[in-house]
Amino acid sequence: MQTKDHKVLVANRGEIAIRIVQACRKLGLAFTCVYTAEDAASGHVRIARELGGDKSLCRVSSYHDANELMAVADDAGATAVHPGYGFFAEDYRFARRVSQRDRKLIFIGPSWRVIRELGDKINTKRLARSLGVPTVPGSDRPIYDEMEAEKVAQSLFEFQEQQGIRKPLVLVKASAGGGGMGIEEVYDIDLFRSVYRRIRNYALRQFKDEGVLIEQRIRDFNHLEVQVVSDRSGRNPVHFGTRNCSIQSTGLQKRVEIAPGFDPSSIEYGFDAAQVLRDITNHSLAMARKVGYDNVGTWEWIVTRDGRPFLMEVNTRIQVENGVSATIARVRGQKGVDLIAEQIRIGLGEPLGYGQEDITFEGVGVEYRLIAEDPDNRFTPWVGRVDGFGWPERPWLAMHTHVPSDDPYDIPTEFDPNLALAIIWGKDLAEARERGVEFLDTLVLEGANNAGEPLRSNVRFLRDNTGRILKF
Amino acid sequence: MDTEKRTQHLAERLGYIRDVFGGKHNENIALLESKLQEFNLRLSEGSISDENAALTTLEDLFDFVERKLEAELTPMDKVRIVRHPQRICLRDILENVYDNFTEIGGKDEHSIDPSMLIARAYITRRSGKKTINQPVLVIGQEKGHGEEFRNGGSVKPWGNAKALQYMKVAETEGIPIHTYVFTPGSYPVEDYPGAAQQIARNLYEMAGLRVPVIAVFSEGGSGGAEAIGLADRRLMLSHGYYSVISPEGGAAIEGRLRQGQRAAPELIEKCAQQLRITAEDNLRMGYIDHVVTEPPLGARPYHYDFFRGLRQEIIRATDEVILGVKGFAPFRAMVLRRRRGKAETMDLDNMYVRWSLSASAKDRLVGRRHRKFNRLARNAARDRRPVLRKLSNMGWDAWWDIYSYFKYDLLRKHQQKIAYLVEEVEAEAQVLMEKVAAPWRKITCALPGGSCQSSEETERELTTLSDWDEEGQRNGNWSYVSPRAKEDRAITCPNAATHGCLDLWAPDLFGEFAGVCTYCGHHFPMEYQWYLHNVFDEGSIFEFNAEIEAGNPLGFEGFDVKLEQAKKQTGLKSGCVTFEARIDNVKLVVAMLVAPFRGGSVGAAEALPLPGLRARHRRHPHPGRHQRRHPDAPLHHGRAPLHRGRGPVPGAVRHQFVRRAAGQLPRLLALPVLHPFGQHRLRRAGRHQGDHGRGHPAGLPPGLSRPVARAHPRHLGPPRRARQPEAGPSDHGRPQPLLPVARATARNR
Repeated sequence: MQTKDHKVLVANRGEIAIRIVQACRKLGLAFTCVYTAEDAASGHVRIARELGGDKSLCRVSSYHDANELMAVADDAGATAVHPGYGFFAEDYRFARRVSQRDRKLIFIGPSWRVIRELGDKINTKRLARSLGVPTVPGSDRPIYDEMEAEKVAQSLFEFQEQQGIRKPLVLVKASAGGGGMGIEEVYDIDLFRSVYRRIRNYALRQFKDEGVLIEQRIRDFNHLEVQVVSDRSGRNPVHFGTRNCSIQSTGLQKRVEIAPGFDPSSIEYGFDAAQVLRDITNHSLAMARKVGYDNVGTWEWIVTRDGRPFLMEVNTRIQVENGVSATIARVRGQKGVDLIAEQIRIGLGEPLGYGQEDITFEGVGVEYRLIAEDPDNRFTPWVGRVDGFGWPERPWLAMHTHVPSDDPYDIPTEFDPNLALAIIWGKDLAEARERGVEFLDTLVLEGANNAGEPLRSNVRFLRDNTGRILKF
Repeated sequence: MDTEKRTQHLAERLGYIRDVFGGKHNENIALLESKLQEFNLRLSEGSISDENAALTTLEDLFDFVERKLEAELTPMDKVRIVRHPQRICLRDILENVYDNFTEIGGKDEHSIDPSMLIARAYITRRSGKKTINQPVLVIGQEKGHGEEFRNGGSVKPWGNAKALQYMKVAETEGIPIHTYVFTPGSYPVEDYPGAAQQIARNLYEMAGLRVPVIAVFSEGGSGGAEAIGLADRRLMLSHGYYSVISPEGGAAIEGRLRQGQRAAPELIEKCAQQLRITAEDNLRMGYIDHVVTEPPLGARPYHYDFFRGLRQEIIRATDEVILGVKGFAPFRAMVLRRRRGKAETMDLDNMYVRWSLSASAKDRLVGRRHRKFNRLARNAARDRRPVLRKLSNMGWDAWWDIYSYFKYDLLRKHQQKIAYLVEEVEAEAQVLMEKVAAPWRKITCALPGGSCQSSEETERELTTLSDWDEEGQRNGNWSYVSPRAKEDRAITCPNAATHGCLDLWAPDLFGEFAGVCTYCGHHFPMEYQWYLHNVFDEGSIFEFNAEIEAGNPLGFEGFDVKLEQAKKQTGLKSGCVTFEARIDNVKLVVAMLVAPFRGGSVGAAEALPLPGLRARHRRHPHPGRHQRRHPDAPLHHGRAPLHRGRGPVPGAVRHQFVRRAAGQLPRLLALPVLHPFGQHRLRRAGRHQGDHGRGHPAGLPPGLSRPVARAHPRHLGPPRRARQPEAGPSDHGRPQPLLPVARATARNR
């Protein structure tokens, strides 16, 4: 296989770096890892050393410096770069630089044009609307005119009242913003103008662009995702099912992900859940086909209590929770789907080799994100040393962690205190829930910080929430 | 006793000669020295019978030698003359030329700047039996025979501001201004208000002063001289110099000297020769109007004849200016008659000319001044248009004057009235229509399937694709992409050490980011074409005055070659591009100084088009009324080219210009475009207070009334649109038309 000649630069850290290294190993590819001084004890450094020796490791001063990563790639003779998630994963400029520099590399991810196109929320929304894909009601272009803005807000309030929403909300956001910057809610049309002006001035200061978006603020929804995979031809995207990521921290960070997105067989929904899942997968694939999507990606949806789906955004990268989709997926009936390996394989140019009809799903997968944090105190990160970390091996359990279970591990303060991902499979929802609780009960996770206080983790939060998974 | 004084005086004269010639003509100096010593010896021995006769003989010998050496003065000797402590200074002139004077604005150390001296002085004349005191304001640099606190006549910006303030006083009082230029250059203060900036302010104001200004140049060094030198009559002392830069400064540039190095004397001498700094040269080139002859080897405080002559010259110059604009014929004839006389033999004290002007005479005075300096600039630049073209342009201009008079002065007023009327009628009709239509609408809404907006319609509006004209948008694509964006390299921001900026990839930095560091906002200089093609509406640029060429009016050796090189390299004829353009349909007249052309420094050819812009602007009034409220609104949407909003988005860049251009009067715009080399150059030029041996004078008064000949517009045309972000380092293949750009990075700055 020609892809064997490639060498992949793993431009990330922690759990995802480990999984990329393992996937490279599985595909018989050479790899190079980078790490910073704080990460010297991290699991991805250990596994890279084990599988590739010292020559496959290179210390960098920052994961954020593209110049350094390019230097490492050239020095190691890498031919491809895997960005993982976070850092450069959705940076189209990085992807462009990688693929257009004098010594060209393969960016394992969608092409930079796709990243740019789908990375823009207005563009994504307009693309969706042009294909008849449902999006959040509101404007689909930046509004610069105060009168027009108020008119849109007014009709949004009226629209929500017609729909019987008791407390209508309107969201005003800077069209050039992102990451939660420059967003504000309006609950009364009389307050709209002052909020609008505030956001507009903020946007002008911060982004040098006065445009704002005005949308309905949807509350009481479930967060669903569609996993899309497509080879470099971009013509035949397939989906690997849906996920439900509604259990989140107060900061709206996902904590539990379940595949599939709904389970109409065991839970009663107020709408046709199976139809919703079919709709969102079809819509996602239609958009992927339209833009010529050419790697793995996730279409994020919100589904309201009355079963109306709205496209939220497209993540043009592999996601943390890819494993939970893989665990219920069967390709031509075969278990052991590895989406990261698939991503690398098709990223390097191989055709996908199977179609949608070859993909089936079996059972329910649950993924827990084990994090050192204090759920009772607004999920404040906890920093200290992990002394004991262990769990009984089970056939239905897959653990992805960079935290060693035989050595103490200091949680670095530079990054999120993520410890592990636990993926549990059950033949149905009841069994998955049961096994999840069993796993959390048998998990050993101990430690202390410098002050001698015991380790805090979200294990109890996860256990408490297991009962309500997939329920709307 | 008298003998002692006279010998002392002769010793001073000897020292002066020795200083002036700096090691040349040693045999003459030795002769004088030995004669003087011999006299002194004999005096002490008491062996001289007639001291007076011997002294007179000796003095005659000194006179003879001085006259002899006078013929051999080189320009550099003259530089040494004007810098000598024994040289006459402004105080001597006030004492000896004027009849009474009072220093104003602080005396000596109590002045804000002791190197700038302001005095109200009188010239007393007789007309028949009447005695008339004519007040004048005397302004000039005071060197004070080497007094240290005078800074050798180097005036600080606040000194020039003081001068300007008193010029305004003279204007209020309606009395003439006499300025005396005794400066090696202004004192280099770069902080606010800035040496160059203050000089520019002075020039601007002096161009419009409504009283006669007479300037006398003794030492006119670079910009400092201009601060008080813009005058209706410019006299020059025969041993003075007047130059764009001191010979040492010129030599430093010629010899490419670094800080702390000194130029070789030969080079300085050569530069003094080349810079055409003497009175004769300046007269020949027309920069001064008349030379006042000094005694051999230059005037010193004891040359009372010289002061008498200077007094007559000053009075004559003032009279000439006054009579030139008074427009009463017999006086003009008299002036002409007087021109034949010699200054020393004239007696203008017994003739009276009232030194005040009527309002219309003042207008004529200012108009003359404008034309005078415009002519100076035009002579220093090359205008290579054929005569026929010039004529047709003049006709064209005249036609435009008439046309714009009808269109804007006559028609516009009525147009506006009609427009207002229509607006009023429309508003009335609207209210009427509402009233009439309301019941009808109520009925149709009540009917099923009525035409009023239903909830479905609202929903459709909120959830389906809206119309959005994306055509006119740049979407973060620049029409012109810097050639530096083709190189695969990382560029370090100069602020990296202090702001922690990571290196930026050149295609990102010079392409999408428009040369702005995304971490700290540092602006890397961009090519002038970048501004040309990205700031203004595509295809809206019409260049004019393209034929004006930078010339070498001084005939400076080697400068022609450099100019030719610059012209070849940039494809431009001077460092100033003038054009009409639009930004979001707001019309502008623009002057752009282009750095790659000789560092963007401004000479005559660069300054020449500027007054023309004003005239052009007047001819085509550019309405600011019809702009949209958010001129940049549709230029870009959420796809702002820079994430986190740092740096310019195209709209923001344009917005700035539009606001400036539309909101302020006059709606003229000058874009200084610098590249690293150019910036460096300008800064260095600023330190030397000079603009490198080209064009003269350094600045031109804006608002000159006479329009500059209009060249046929040259269409710069839209560049082929490069879809910038699509175009990677490898596929930018389009060669940019106007110039190759110095590939300087921040590192080597």
